[in-house]
Amino acid sequence: MRIILAPMRRHSLMPALVLLQVALACAILCNVFFLAWQRLEPMLAPSGVDADNLILVDNLAAQGRTYTAAESVAGEDALRAVPGVRAASSGFGLPMVSIASLMVNLQGATHAAVGVNAFFGKNLVQTLGLEMVAGRDFLPSEYRPWGLGASNGPDSDWDTGVTQPVIITQALADKLFGATPAVGQWLHDPDPNDKSDHGYQVVGVVKHLLRNELGLATDGRADYTVLLARNIGNTAMLSYAVRVDPAMRDIALQGVKNAIKRQFGGATAGGARARVQTYVQKRNDAFKNARAALWLLLGMVLAIVIVTLVGIMGLTGFWVQRRTRQIGIRRALGARRAHILRDFLVENLLIVGTGIIIGMVLAYAGNILLMHYYELPHLPWTYLPVGAAVMLAIGQAGVLAPAMRAAAVPPVVATRSV
Amino acid sequence: MFGYYLDLAVRSLKHNKVLTLLMVLTLALGIGASITTLTVATLLSGNPLPGKSGRLFHPQIDPFPQDGYVSGQTQPPFTLTYRDAMNLLQLHRADRQALVSAATVGVTKSDGVEPIWGNGVLTTADFFPMFDSPFQFGAGWNVGDDAAHQRVVVIAGYINDQLFGGADSVGRSVRIHGHDFRIVGVLKHWAPQPRFYGAELDGHTFGDGDAVFMPLEAALDAGIGGMPGQCFGTGDQRDPRAMPCTWLGFWVELDSAEAVAHYRNLLDGYVRDQIKQGQFYRSDTALPDLTQLMHREELVPHSVKLKAGLAFGFLLVCVVNTVGLLLAKCLRRSQEIGVRRALGATRGHIFAQFMMEAALIGVAGGVLGLLFAELGLWGTRHQPAEYASLARLDPKMFLLTFVVALAASLLAGLLPSWRASGVAPASQIKAG
Repeated sequence: MRIILAPMRRHSLMPALVLLQVALACAILCNVFFLAWQRLEPMLAPSGVDADNLILVDNLAAQGRTYTAAESVAGEDALRAVPGVRAASSGFGLPMVSIASLMVNLQGATHAAVGVNAFFGKNLVQTLGLEMVAGRDFLPSEYRPWGLGASNGPDSDWDTGVTQPVIITQALADKLFGATPAVGQWLHDPDPNDKSDHGYQVVGVVKHLLRNELGLATDGRADYTVLLARNIGNTAMLSYAVRVDPAMRDIALQGVKNAIKRQFGGATAGGARARVQTYVQKRNDAFKNARAALWLLLGMVLAIVIVTLVGIMGLTGFWVQRRTRQIGIRRALGARRAHILRDFLVENLLIVGTGIIIGMVLAYAGNILLMHYYELPHLPWTYLPVGAAVMLAIGQAGVLAPAMRAAAVPPVVATRSV
Repeated sequence: MFGYYLDLAVRSLKHNKVLTLLMVLTLALGIGASITTLTVATLLSGNPLPGKSGRLFHPQIDPFPQDGYVSGQTQPPFTLTYRDAMNLLQLHRADRQALVSAATVGVTKSDGVEPIWGNGVLTTADFFPMFDSPFQFGAGWNVGDDAAHQRVVVIAGYINDQLFGGADSVGRSVRIHGHDFRIVGVLKHWAPQPRFYGAELDGHTFGDGDAVFMPLEAALDAGIGGMPGQCFGTGDQRDPRAMPCTWLGFWVELDSAEAVAHYRNLLDGYVRDQIKQGQFYRSDTALPDLTQLMHREELVPHSVKLKAGLAFGFLLVCVVNTVGLLLAKCLRRSQEIGVRRALGATRGHIFAQFMMEAALIGVAGGVLGLLFAELGLWGTRHQPAEYASLARLDPKMFLLTFVVALAASLLAGLLPSWRASGVAPASQIKAG
């Protein structure tokens, strides 16, 4: 060990520069990884729906009036009549439809409140193709009407006056009730001022259902979605989910487009044109920004890796050259090539390791600084070992070539005066 | 002396091409990344109306019901109801004042043709002089046109180019959603960044400019716009003029601190009256100016500044890297330095010589960095962001690239040059 530490003490400038570089690079890398994962997590989360056979219709807005509940149902009927359509539901807060979303706070008996996206519409479990893992779907008699921006009359009142049944996801069940079976449990809105809250009772649990506020689908909150037993009443905006026969996908898509045009034709508000897209298209559009950001972050990671690699190679290469004579003496005194190689690798490990420790502190400090200025979540500690591992790999890769050159120094160098 | 150092530096850089290339490349990568992100960040956080932002104010009052209200803590909503907006507008107590709403519209010359879709701004007469919109032909409409619900319109230059081939179209008509609107003015290219007056209304914060500007009343008569923003109460939401929803942005121009104080009192007085009449429950008002408002509504995306910060961190890594490589290069030439010192070069000479070398690397890094920055901005322009098309290098940034490059390389050269100038002549010559 002394043979490794001594040269570093004598010529501390070179190791210090490597150390500084590693520390800075490690700090940036940890934060970049963290930012990248924030974008990546919603993209990797399972949707829970029958993605390949789902068509979504949204952006139907009435001009200067609201759609009635009857019009909403007539639209469902028209869609069901399209060849190739298996199920159609008028709904609110549908997957990948984020033009309007509903956020509900829910609290179990003992646990902290969680903010979830609420989806509703008749028979959504069936139309979206959700997989139920416990309990049951809503009964037809349990549905009550509600519409967006039209709280005018009994047809669209948010306050039902009674407890509402709710279907939650497995992830929510685990979060809210832990090991206790969720079906039959009670939930309520934690806001004591909300007089329209009469509590919710869990009747069923679905395996997955990706929320539609994708910006919040991070840190394990991707599945924070509930289904409410509501159908669409009078409403300012309509949207439909349509499940089609896999064999007739293309025909059905065209049919749905035509049906929507026929049914709602010129009635939509100025400029708001109805959008009919497959789930896959919508998903593609929804993640466009995230994908672009990911490429940018990937480019950044690459640049950091390359620059750090070049730096370590250059500096270590020079250091090896300066110590050629010392290496020759060691070889002449009986050190084997493997010893020399090992010593340089271990030396690099020590320098990079120290750099990483400083880098982790820097990463944390940087994150706290960022959190102070921006609404950014806390950097989870799990990113630190990832950043550290990458830096260690870069360090070892960078030192390999110079170390091999050092190991190749013949013992005879010791006898020459350099 | 300068020429001699330059010559020495070029020779030395040529001598070890790989190392030189690595240094230039490292520096260029760092500069490219930081200039790209900095360009985007300054572009987005710029002042949309330089010289005027301190005189534009955004009055806000709170018509929402009592539930959940905490006096002094609840922020009044961004927009006004039609009723309050008209009441405040008709008081005419500011130097200039305008209501603003937004709607997506399709514009054509005649029916039956697929319209050009774009952002429509529903506003009142003072909008154009207040926000300094530049006209190519004609002018905005006047207060009388607002009151008479006149179907007039101001169109953007690009709409004029597409529909009328760029000719003076004042006096002619366009069809918007089945109604004729008479053109009174054609704007030059006008797109304040960020689009402060509309961002909170329709979510478009950046872009190439709005398509048409219509008088609010005439547009509502024609069934254009009037989508509810935030609603309260249980009234009818079909009529935008009567619905219990806030949806209209309101801007006033106030030219002195005194006028601002007066307007603040006016707002408080209005709210007090409304509370007395039982219309209002909340007494908080706000009168932020444009800069405060942009800050409060966070119109500049956070991620932009974050990326700029990360890029500058990366530049720091690159500088440290260049320090190391330069140092390695300098100390390898200890013998050469020894000879020069022995032949009479002072420490200062050696220092200057090596700084010259660093500066050369900086210039080369700057040129290559500029290339990387252009590449980065090209990439940005192909991103799906709203501001993408605006990402271009302006002359100021062009200059800044070289300033940053030179500063970074000279900073990187300091330590190696200092070490090089400290080489003792005798020992090096002996060792050689």
